[in-house]
Amino acid sequence: MEFVLSQLSGFGGAFYDLAADPVTYMYLIVSVFLGIVFGALPGLTATLAVTILTGFFGNKIPLDYSLIALLGAYVGAIYGGSYPSILLNIPGTAASAATAMDGHPLAKAGRGGEALGLTTTASFIGTLIGTVALLIFVWVLLLISKNIASPEKAMLALFGILLSGTLMSEDLVIKGWIAGLIGLAMAMVGLDPLLSEPRYTFDWPYLFSGFQVVPVLMGAFAVPQIIEGLRHVKMGEVVQLQGRIVPNLATVKRYLPTISRSGVIGTGVGALPGVGEDVAGWVSYGVGKSVSKEGHMFGKGSLEGLLSSETANNACIGGALIPLLVLGIPGSPPAAALMGAFKINNIIPGPTIDPEIILRVVAIMVMASFTMFLMGLFTARIFIKILRIPQTVFLPIVMVLTTIGSFSVGGGINDLYLMLGVGLVAYFMNMLKFPIAPLVIGVILGGLFDETFRRTLFIADGNLSAFISRPGAAILLTMNVALILSQIGAVKRGFGRLIGR
Amino acid sequence: MDDDKAILRARDFWGACTLIVVSIFFLWRTFDIPLWGQNNAGVAGINWYESAAIVPLGIFLALLVLGFVLLGIAVREGGAERALSAAGIGWDKDEAIRFSSIAVILAFYIFGLVPRVDFVLCSGLLVTALIWGFHTGQPRRMVLAASFVVVPAVYALVAHFPQAEWGAPHDDDWVTLAFWVGLTALGLWRGPRDKVAKATLWIAVISPLVLVCAMAFGFRQNVPNRGGLIFAQIEYHYYVTLRPLWRD
Repeated sequence: MEFVLSQLSGFGGAFYDLAADPVTYMYLIVSVFLGIVFGALPGLTATLAVTILTGFFGNKIPLDYSLIALLGAYVGAIYGGSYPSILLNIPGTAASAATAMDGHPLAKAGRGGEALGLTTTASFIGTLIGTVALLIFVWVLLLISKNIASPEKAMLALFGILLSGTLMSEDLVIKGWIAGLIGLAMAMVGLDPLLSEPRYTFDWPYLFSGFQVVPVLMGAFAVPQIIEGLRHVKMGEVVQLQGRIVPNLATVKRYLPTISRSGVIGTGVGALPGVGEDVAGWVSYGVGKSVSKEGHMFGKGSLEGLLSSETANNACIGGALIPLLVLGIPGSPPAAALMGAFKINNIIPGPTIDPEIILRVVAIMVMASFTMFLMGLFTARIFIKILRIPQTVFLPIVMVLTTIGSFSVGGGINDLYLMLGVGLVAYFMNMLKFPIAPLVIGVILGGLFDETFRRTLFIADGNLSAFISRPGAAILLTMNVALILSQIGAVKRGFGRLIGR
Repeated sequence: MDDDKAILRARDFWGACTLIVVSIFFLWRTFDIPLWGQNNAGVAGINWYESAAIVPLGIFLALLVLGFVLLGIAVREGGAERALSAAGIGWDKDEAIRFSSIAVILAFYIFGLVPRVDFVLCSGLLVTALIWGFHTGQPRRMVLAASFVVVPAVYALVAHFPQAEWGAPHDDDWVTLAFWVGLTALGLWRGPRDKVAKATLWIAVISPLVLVCAMAFGFRQNVPNRGGLIFAQIEYHYYVTLRPLWRD
């Protein structure tokens, strides 16, 4: 109890500092607004919102404001995806795909206002649940992670890449692993971190410092989106909004158990490395359908179905920040973009992170969720108007944003060449159903994996048992091996037979 | 197996082949990095476990193995049989034109225009070409839009290779401006008279202008080609005409 109270008092101090600064509100309002716009426009995603804003705010303003801008956009974008899901039956972001299942039937039944109001409230409560979990668990894990050394870090980085590859593959699991390994391979370019030996630089001085994170992020997430979205799409009919948006308190109270359950599920899924808000939304929707009394109504306009997915995808944000802040492993694709922002600010998320930063992140999340709640309830009609903008109009602007953002972070034309190259490769990978997030996570964690893996071998004079002599490393190594074996057909069948006996 | 899956496996066949070739190439390059503790001119090299090649070697070997696994899956599921026919890999002429036009526009914009031409002008041309070329979905427009970007980009590349000179004569800026005006006029003359057509010019002018000014004067960051035709004027008047107003 004392621990929780000390956490709350630390959070209170950080919250007060931010709330007392008028500039905070300027960044909050602008970033949450931009985030909702990015989420509401089909073709733009939360990852893209955080990535593009990293180019603009990443290292150009004080860290606090930079974090406000990026977290505000993250929270806003995940929520904003619900608008087109409910009113157009087109998910604004992958995270809101499950929201469309019940949101659109509700809107067609003349309950669009009620659906939007409840979605806003659920997203708000979901974000808060995730944030509380972040405040508590991040500290518990930080205490444990103090004992983490090079072998554990190497195995953990590998586990993050493999797990995200496994869970994010739409098609074959090995495609996720290949994507992660391509990311790792990209991180090997440049002078190696221990001996300064040049690797794959082809005598091009630009490559000596390795691939920069922001151009890779922009290329991997923005360019394929632009290429894919620049096509003639017949705009769907926006369902006329009926009813008041401000929700009925009694309804919220009635569905509070659903909201709480979904918040916990979303936070838990978010805490898994590399697994994003879309998975959280579907898992929570699936659980809701199986445990709810009105499960048979899911997909036909059930409020419980709507709240299950919408609460979970926002709760996932707090969950995704837990592995990012404690272990330096992003919990979701937007968190990977956020890690890029940390990197360009010379902050290394992980056991050595300044605890003050964590408290500020929590305070910003609370403020961003309040801002999102108020904007959602009182300015929803502005966002509905934005839904009518065709993507062929805003994607060219995104290209200009991406170009200038990528250029200004590194200040060089070579970054633009890198961005376009990565973008074209990522587009083809998308076409072949390779997930892109593991690639980015591989690029971000590649340096950490290389350094810690080799440092372990250095210290142990090449003795590979260093990876099993420490209990933490042995557990993580076992998890890596188990993860790989679990995807091999023969092993699966053998295990199935063993259980059968 | 449904048709989409069969197409995907045919594509996987080519994807796996590419992956195998790339992995072999980089494995070969990995052996340029000292690995086995060679003795160079009497100086002992490093041990294998200290080598900078050890992790990349593992990665590219793993990629090679996974490439063969993917190839095996693609062949087993009929990907190899379909891989050599256009229909087998899901070739769609209109989609190919669409993708190629976008790729050409982006490549010439990034490699030809941005390093040499004023950012407002080249981005204005890009925005106009992408909206006009792709909003209606007509392949003829896409190709025409791409050619409006390619010509000034090729001119800039040839006239100012390898990069724009300081205090350049701005000939490439004028050529780009001429093509932008030409494409805008074409859009207004031959295009549909809908809201998007009317808004294109405003979007193409305002969005790069606001972004470049925000980046240069708001965030005080470097922007591409500061000596460009438009931006040089903006920068001059910002520091000489406008800034003294509030500095004094």
